[in-house]
Amino acid sequence: MNLFYLVGIGGAVGFLSGLFGVGGGFLLTPLLIFSGVPSSVAVSSVTGQVVAASTSGALSYWRRGGIDFHLALYLILSSLIGVSGGVATFSALRAAGQLDLVISVGYLLLLGTVGTLMLSEAVRALLKRRAGLVVRERLPNQHTWMHGLPFRIRFKRSKLYISVVPVIVIGMGIGFVGSLLGVGGGFILVPALVYLLRVPGSVVVGTTLLQMVAMMAATTLLQAMQSQSVDVLLSFCLMVGGTIGAQFGASAGQYLRGDQLRFLLALLVLAIAIRFGLTLVLAPADPFSVATIGASGVI
Amino acid sequence: MSRLAMALAVMLLLASAGMARAEQLVSALSNGNIAITSSFDGEVLSLFGNVEPDEGKHNVSGNYDVVIVVIGPSVDRVARLKTNVLGFWMNTEQVEFNPFPTFFQVLSGNPLDKIADHQALEDLRILPDAQARVSAVPQSLHVERFGAELVRLMTARGLFGINETAVRFISPTAYVAQLPLPADISNGLFITQTYLFKDGKLLATRGDSFAINKTGFERFLFTSAHQYPLLYGLVCVLLAVGTGWLGGVVFRR
Repeated sequence: MNLFYLVGIGGAVGFLSGLFGVGGGFLLTPLLIFSGVPSSVAVSSVTGQVVAASTSGALSYWRRGGIDFHLALYLILSSLIGVSGGVATFSALRAAGQLDLVISVGYLLLLGTVGTLMLSEAVRALLKRRAGLVVRERLPNQHTWMHGLPFRIRFKRSKLYISVVPVIVIGMGIGFVGSLLGVGGGFILVPALVYLLRVPGSVVVGTTLLQMVAMMAATTLLQAMQSQSVDVLLSFCLMVGGTIGAQFGASAGQYLRGDQLRFLLALLVLAIAIRFGLTLVLAPADPFSVATIGASGVI
Repeated sequence: MSRLAMALAVMLLLASAGMARAEQLVSALSNGNIAITSSFDGEVLSLFGNVEPDEGKHNVSGNYDVVIVVIGPSVDRVARLKTNVLGFWMNTEQVEFNPFPTFFQVLSGNPLDKIADHQALEDLRILPDAQARVSAVPQSLHVERFGAELVRLMTARGLFGINETAVRFISPTAYVAQLPLPADISNGLFITQTYLFKDGKLLATRGDSFAINKTGFERFLFTSAHQYPLLYGLVCVLLAVGTGWLGGVVFRR
């Protein structure tokens, strides 16, 4: 695979992730799979890129004090359990020949749901703006039933006194899905923290980024040890391209309104979901395929 | 143990004595150690040799046929079949082939079926399909079909194949053959088996080998990923954190 092509993909996805303010794993992994990289190599090499992308973000939030370390610790520890489950499932599925199927179905469900939600939200916001209404975000300040569960802990930085059970469940779920599909999971974790746990907006992004760094670092390490499908060259090309691309994306994003951005991102996410759906439904060009059993994948 | 070794040695001696009565083959390769560098985009390997007359005669009569089989290192392979289940295409059947060569090229100067009969080619494992039949995990159903598909897929990738015009006789006894090696060839030890036929009969065989090795940075990455996976993973993570930090510093995000 061409080095410049990889840096180019990394740059393009970095641009998009800077533009939309998302991690980029859920765009990068599909793009690599669609351009012919084996899905096992794509998933485990993108995790390295997510570490790089999240690190610079997490550092800048840390400097501004935008991280709840106490909450992040609980999320990280629980996500590590999810990660080890996810990596083990990944290896088992690959041996059984069902990894591609599960990745396609996973992306279809995940991106289909997220894309539909985002699109309907963005269209509503755009219509309201056209009608001349002032869009005001509803402040999430009420408690839900989840906060009343046992084992309550005080998270000072987030000004929360909530049960630790939903925190652990969310962390484990993100760890499992993230390591299986090669996504940082920021686009699930941020809404989950905001709407389910009522984590204030001042710390939610920073905490998510820190959690993503730790979780994806653990995934990279486990994948390198267990399936040996991490390709450091591929990963590094994506990191370099992504880091540079994100800068241009972020500055380009200032010229677009938030609801327009979300509308475009929703369309992109849905397009990828549909593409995965088509690979599941359309007859393959060749029903037979050949694979190597055991460790392989490094270029 | 030593008695067994003795018996083996005697058998080998008898066998070689038996061969010595007929023609013999000498062969050589243009390159015994091929290095895969970062700019490697395939190479053409030349194989050549000569038919030596047996001791009684001074000249050899012609009409020889040489078949060369080049076999690459083996891995465990699996061939899978996608079928439509409730509207979704998924892998539903698979047959394992272990060990199965990563490279298998047959070179000859005449159509194989004119050189020897099918059974002989099958017994000598000259045909790729025969190789698949041997490697298949015995319990598997549909071995024939999956084996043929596996060979077809490997042929499409240029790793398997039969070239019936590759061997050229430049004199009644001297031959030369050329084999292009693709860029994505796996590395390891390759074996070339040369068979000398005359009138459908196998007269002599000869084995050679050559090595294909990654060199430099590629080799370093390959060995470290497989031999020191923990270290390799740590380096990946540190590289990622370093790149992210550097990006943050350079662009002051």
